[in-house]
Amino acid sequence: MPDAPLPILPTLPPIAARPYAWPFDGRWSPHDTALMLLGFQAGPVASLAAQAERDAACALLAAANGLGMTVIAVRRGYTAGEGPLAARRRTLGDPIPAHGSVEWALDAQIALPQDALLLDIAGDNGFFGTDLEDHLRRRGIRNLLITGLPTEGLVHATQRAANDMGFECLAVADACKGTSDERHAAQLRITTFGNGLFGTVAPAAEVLSALRSV
Amino acid sequence: MSMTARQEERPAFWPLGGPVEKTRIALVIIDMQVDFCAPGGWVDQLGEDVSNTRSVIAPIREALVAARAAGILVIHTREGHAPDLSDLHANKQWRTRVHGLGIGDAGRDGRILVQGEPGWQIIPELAPEAGELVIDKPGKSSFHRTTLADELARRGIDRLVITGVTSDCCVQSTLRDGYEHGIECVLLQDCTAAVESPNHQATLEILKAYGGRWGGVSDLSGFHAMLEAANA
Repeated sequence: MPDAPLPILPTLPPIAARPYAWPFDGRWSPHDTALMLLGFQAGPVASLAAQAERDAACALLAAANGLGMTVIAVRRGYTAGEGPLAARRRTLGDPIPAHGSVEWALDAQIALPQDALLLDIAGDNGFFGTDLEDHLRRRGIRNLLITGLPTEGLVHATQRAANDMGFECLAVADACKGTSDERHAAQLRITTFGNGLFGTVAPAAEVLSALRSV
Repeated sequence: MSMTARQEERPAFWPLGGPVEKTRIALVIIDMQVDFCAPGGWVDQLGEDVSNTRSVIAPIREALVAARAAGILVIHTREGHAPDLSDLHANKQWRTRVHGLGIGDAGRDGRILVQGEPGWQIIPELAPEAGELVIDKPGKSSFHRTTLADELARRGIDRLVITGVTSDCCVQSTLRDGYEHGIECVLLQDCTAAVESPNHQATLEILKAYGGRWGGVSDLSGFHAMLEAANA
């Protein structure tokens, strides 16, 4: 049986990323790529002083929206029935915002499109206990552009899981911030080790330049 | 020195406290395979330095002997792929082939990280014994596409002591996923290593921050003390 004719899709140029030009096979378009916004909530943006990283993510979001790209946002928080996961963290002094609190809400600058997927998690991995993988597969997503807070928390945990699932990932370095500059830098260095054990890293300007080339 | 004084000097082994019944605890040894840490294995064939990963064989052996003596479950993991590579993602294979010898390719001693090949085997110093659990994993995390979570739940095990290689890669992925599963994990820092020491040191610093957000970090002597204090 002959294959159905392929729809005409805009193709995007490779992104100058470390340690290789992303994606690995050169195949990416607005239809097979999702932008992930992890933990851009009022509390973490304020406590990490991550306004610049949020602004970089907002610029990527505007460009992605213009191309009709899939957008995923993840909020971390706990509910009354939080279970041991969030409770453990709070016991050890790493606060997680309560659902419905001011700190838990998405940052006011993050303007999600109507069809964005908004997920709530208690831990760090956006795939754990959610239908994120199914959602991405259904939409034919194979590439992920990842932004968020903190780099060594939601960003890296989610990227590790995505990478094990075979998604081709790029962490946007200046649209992520860690709980310290050293942890941010180290986690991104580990991401790129071994020719990209967990994918690649690039600055927002390189990603924007590719998105705006269409 | 009294037992009490010794316990007071040392931070708690489990961040959430103890002691814990031995039946709830398992020792996990991650990916101590020929391809990662033996002369002639994949990493060695790439010309990379395996001295860091080899340096933890003796301490892990000590932890293994202690776990067997205490009667706690021992879990070995092996990273590897089916001979037809149906479980190998295209980008994972591509990234490793840049080094000149990728996963699935024929190395000097069999196909790299392919199940059943000599390089995929656990090194003889740490070979599994009957009754120990061996988990075959296609990814970095020992929980990804494996039966590990089910096996732990079935046995009532909710505390893992983690060792193996490499600290920045499969060890960190396993500890993070253990946390997501609600399993309390503690990494033995003298029983894990990375190819590059700065990445190893950074991994330990990140894991220790905030009281151990995803689990604790201890060492071999802490492990011995924990087993002594554990309830049968």
